[in-house]
Amino acid sequence: MFAPQVHEYLRTFFHETNCEIESDEGYMLTVQLTIDIDKKIMNRPFYWQYIETTGSPPNPARLTLITDRSKIDNPFMGEIIHFGSRRLNQIFKATKELGAFVQMYEKVQQAENGNRSTLTPYLCVNYKISYYCDQTKEKMYSLGINLVNGNIHDDFHESVCNLNLTNEPTENIYCLPYIIKPHRGLERLDEMIQSIVQNDDHSWAQEAKMRWEKEQEVLDYFYEGVEEKPESYEIEKKALEERFNPRIKVEIINGGLFYLKS
Amino acid sequence: MNIERPTNWREDFNRRFEENGPWDSWSLYKMSYEIEKMNLIPEFSGLQAPKFLTNLQILPHQLEAAKTVIEKMNGKAILGDEVGLGKTIEAGLILKEYMIRGLVKKALILVPASLQNQWVTELNVRFFIPAIPYRKNTPLDHYDVVIMSMDTAKKSPHREKIYEQDYDMIIIDEAHKLKNHKTQIYEFVQSLKKKFCLLLTATPIQNDVFEIFYLVSLLKPGHLGNFETFQSSFSATKHSLKEEKYLKELVNQVMVRNRRQDTGIEWTNRKVQTIPVHFTEEEREVYDMLYNLKNVSSVFSSSFTMVTLLKEMCSSKEATYLTLKKMLEKCITKEEIDYIEEIINKLMYLEVNSKAEKVLEIVEQCNEKVLIFTEYRATQAYLQWYLNTKGISSVLFNGKFSKSKRDWVKQLFRERDQVLIATESGGEGINLQFCHHVINYDLPWNPMKIEQRIGRVHRLGQEEDVHIYNLAIENTIEQKILDLLGDKINVFEKVVGDLDDILAT
Repeated sequence: MFAPQVHEYLRTFFHETNCEIESDEGYMLTVQLTIDIDKKIMNRPFYWQYIETTGSPPNPARLTLITDRSKIDNPFMGEIIHFGSRRLNQIFKATKELGAFVQMYEKVQQAENGNRSTLTPYLCVNYKISYYCDQTKEKMYSLGINLVNGNIHDDFHESVCNLNLTNEPTENIYCLPYIIKPHRGLERLDEMIQSIVQNDDHSWAQEAKMRWEKEQEVLDYFYEGVEEKPESYEIEKKALEERFNPRIKVEIINGGLFYLKS
Repeated sequence: MNIERPTNWREDFNRRFEENGPWDSWSLYKMSYEIEKMNLIPEFSGLQAPKFLTNLQILPHQLEAAKTVIEKMNGKAILGDEVGLGKTIEAGLILKEYMIRGLVKKALILVPASLQNQWVTELNVRFFIPAIPYRKNTPLDHYDVVIMSMDTAKKSPHREKIYEQDYDMIIIDEAHKLKNHKTQIYEFVQSLKKKFCLLLTATPIQNDVFEIFYLVSLLKPGHLGNFETFQSSFSATKHSLKEEKYLKELVNQVMVRNRRQDTGIEWTNRKVQTIPVHFTEEEREVYDMLYNLKNVSSVFSSSFTMVTLLKEMCSSKEATYLTLKKMLEKCITKEEIDYIEEIINKLMYLEVNSKAEKVLEIVEQCNEKVLIFTEYRATQAYLQWYLNTKGISSVLFNGKFSKSKRDWVKQLFRERDQVLIATESGGEGINLQFCHHVINYDLPWNPMKIEQRIGRVHRLGQEEDVHIYNLAIENTIEQKILDLLGDKINVFEKVVGDLDDILAT
């Protein structure tokens, strides 16, 4: 993520979160935060605790963020922000919280004969799978289920992210009723992701277990012939388990309901 | 295999569906997806950290070291680069990588007290890792990455507080301080859970091969066998090794060691000279009298005291006097007292310090900044006085100086004084690339101390060839020290790997 992308990201983020951008030079922007965003990205819980318990007037921060320091003479004019910096990570985290659930309708042109267009409901869930041992690998799956016929589609996000969508249905449309209730749809998607995980190649886990066994043998060798093993043996053994024992985590990034033209 | 599903997204979604909202912004939803995709870790191998570290120029050997530790050594290793190649950068890179990969959340970094603040700054500024320095009442529960001095960590109540935590990674800087398995710090680290662990030291062997055994056994007990098997296969006597090659191979499985010459960076040369110094007749007379002490009285029979005195005599009469004075208090018989008083008398009348004259000669000849190391405070003070009488200004340095005082001394040396005179403990944590002459006024027993001294100036950023002058007085104990240093370097090279020049060949 280069400076112009970071800048564009910030601009959209503050716009979407109703923080007023007071000035924007393309490499530096000044923004008045709302109370809600201040709490999410300024990392000052004690201040907010104090304001709330004493009932003092809140004073959310006004931030000047510099996205391209090569264009700045005086770096003390604001906070330098770039990919990897902590502030940007906090903004990423806030984005995740504030962009977790959507309900979107595809926009349709008024049909010439005056008939209403029909939209089909889908439930989309974006998953992240993490494989952990002493190393990590992650995969993303965007799955969408048609809540009328139950078909499940891959790469759902890619197929909808460029459509013309709005968060309010237009008047000229008719949404098909669910045959499958969304919470059932969610269960089906969870089953699907589970089976994707189970059918994946898990040689990584086998290899991690082999590394684990090898290191366990080395450790045992150190204490060979010691009748009563000291505490440090158990500590080491536990550390090996924590380091090598393969684990899988399935997280939901975000998801929502989509009403789309068939 | 068990699958964790750590999210309350499902309930939250169902509730919003029942209540028809609130629904989030489509833009933020898409941005969130894009960020996840961008930060996805697509492979088990490779490094993710560098793309986040835009403030840092990572050198190829540092990147390679981090990859090796993570991919081949499974996250437990000795980082043994030569001084000045950026072991801290390598450690930071590895820590950052594990944090990004979600494998390390809590990390404890143990360092000598003098380096604590330097680590805090490095990690925060260069790696964006929110590390804090541990003070007396820092609540460890509240902070994930803590930098603590070793001396604090090993003591109650701090050690108990550390044991209560569950650290994913332990990093120990200047890990040669753990070479002795009978020390409190060694026991402390031994009982600490080490899931991921890095030991940083340029000098994994300082004196003998057992040091590497204890160091590796801390990291990976059993890797070099247990004590009995190690002793029987690798050391008949402490200095002659049978299966060096095999041992070296084992050590290299858990150690990354970059040498200056394999970094691909152009390094300036080291020009090492041994400068022989001759005592004056008067100095020789005192030296011989000191040497004779052990025949005079049993008070002086301890070889340790004798060696100290002889070394001090090779340094300065000031250093010698302090020790003699203390010995005088222990003397009982008249004979003993007379003998010592006679020595002190002769000592007082010495007008010439041959070694100091040699120093003056070197300083005047090179006419540039010179860094002098001595083992004795008394000598340090004397040298400053002596050089001052010859019109040469100098500044003193020792390891007890605070961070701000260090910076001040460094600035004085850079801008005002021609000479910096440091004691041994001042070796770590001050970098002086603007200077390229190092005089080892006294030689320590341990060659790695000399390497650490030279490392203050011969490091990244040095543009000139570095001149090293090892002073040794002929036909004294210093001659023996030189020989022993040679033997120790030999052991190191056989087990760990080649060393840059420390002694003249």
